[in-house]
Amino acid sequence: MRTWLRHQRAAFRSALARLATQPLASMLTALAMGVAISLPAGLYLALGNFAQLAGEMPAQPEISLYLAADATPAQESALATRLKQPDVAHARRVDKDEALAALSSAQDLTDVTAGLPGNPLPDAWIVQPRDTSRAGLTQLAQALGARPGVAEVHIDSQWAERLAAALAIGHTGVWLLAALFAVALVAISGNAIRAQVLARRDEIQVSRLIGATDRHIRRPFLFVGTLQGLLGGAVALGVLAASGALLQGPVTHLANLYGSAYQLAPPTLAELAVVLGLPALFGWLGAWLSVTRALGQVEAGH
Amino acid sequence: MIQFSQVTKRYPGGHEALANVDLAIDKGELVFLTGHSGAGKSTLLKLIAAIERPTSGMLTVNGQNVGRLPYRAVPYLRRNIGLVFQDHKLLFDRNVIENVVLPLDIVGLDRRESFKRARAVLDKVGLLKREKANPISLSGGEQQRLCIARALVSRPALLLADEPTGNLDAGYAADIMAMFRDFHQVGTTLVIATHDDRALTALGGRILRLDHGHVGETAI
Repeated sequence: MRTWLRHQRAAFRSALARLATQPLASMLTALAMGVAISLPAGLYLALGNFAQLAGEMPAQPEISLYLAADATPAQESALATRLKQPDVAHARRVDKDEALAALSSAQDLTDVTAGLPGNPLPDAWIVQPRDTSRAGLTQLAQALGARPGVAEVHIDSQWAERLAAALAIGHTGVWLLAALFAVALVAISGNAIRAQVLARRDEIQVSRLIGATDRHIRRPFLFVGTLQGLLGGAVALGVLAASGALLQGPVTHLANLYGSAYQLAPPTLAELAVVLGLPALFGWLGAWLSVTRALGQVEAGH
Repeated sequence: MIQFSQVTKRYPGGHEALANVDLAIDKGELVFLTGHSGAGKSTLLKLIAAIERPTSGMLTVNGQNVGRLPYRAVPYLRRNIGLVFQDHKLLFDRNVIENVVLPLDIVGLDRRESFKRARAVLDKVGLLKREKANPISLSGGEQQRLCIARALVSRPALLLADEPTGNLDAGYAADIMAMFRDFHQVGTTLVIATHDDRALTALGGRILRLDHGHVGETAI
């Protein structure tokens, strides 16, 4: 165990020295990795912000029932009774006068509504169903829409669902992109390590001749790959922080125009850990592939 | 300690470096391999260190069948063998003592202990004053002594040397050979390949003459 620790420590120190002796190459590799990570990570954060924005909208789906202008009082009271049944969680009647008043005050349309000859709005019910699943919602909407005296049914969650579907596509896209860039990370790391292995051919050959195991030879390279990945992750965090800072102003301005106090949500600690950790993992993987392949070639080169 | 029975080594392309070699080397022996260049001296040493594998026949070192040794076991075999090369194979990106410490790092010895041992062995080969120097600044004879120090620092029971005096003038060569005699006297088994006849007569020991892959014993 102590020997193992000693080996790890020696390899770690050797890896640091290797990075430090080639600061420019290390920097360039870290930069390449960082840019490769920041693209999917940035998209992921942007999508998260959209999703959060969408989440601020009423999550509880509602069904709006618009009554026909010629609905009879009998039809109306039958509908009111129907809406007291247990599959309806809550139902509220919105009188057409009330709706017109709300419209003119909320949207600042007093001039427009005052100019109208009569009230064009229908009486309506806002219904919250007990079963909020998509199927339950549609079923209830159809049942209510078929009743006499009901002119139109509208499921208010429709746009939210469409947004959610669009976001789901976006998420899948981000994962695809992330997978592609993970391959790129492995390739970047592998390539950088390959150059180092070639530069250290003599050392590898001598170490082999005096009894070094492949594991011993591989170890410092794995540390270099991992450290380079971490550096890449740090670069990506820098890129994301800078983009966030640049975007914060315009986003606040846009939110103000919509009368919202919305602000960009910063990434969570777990997300930060992923941005640092995944590149480290893929850096390690690239190094492992590269050294293992190169070791085979050095052996053959005897 | 080393046992060749009917060992043949044929390189790809058909060149037969060793043919049906039968040979036994006991613990503590001092053995010289001589013969013209291309006679198979280096191949014989490479077989012992498992750098090359025999084409046929059986070779055991320390009771291990080297021909059948799994790839993963080779490093552990080599840790018991000190190797001295004609071209030294030193690393010029680190100083003298770091070169000597290399085998101990591989074993994972404590660094302070490693440096203590390295200094002791550098003292033995007369390079203690140059421990901080870069090996590239050493003369040919000093580089060879450094290579010997690296081979000896892990106190191997067996030392293999391939033309250790090949590039050296007579004075340095005699120094190196005298050093080998000292190691022999403390019990190390030595197998030294050389075409340098000056050394043979001076040191005594057993002499094996190789000729086109065949081994013949020569009495002193």
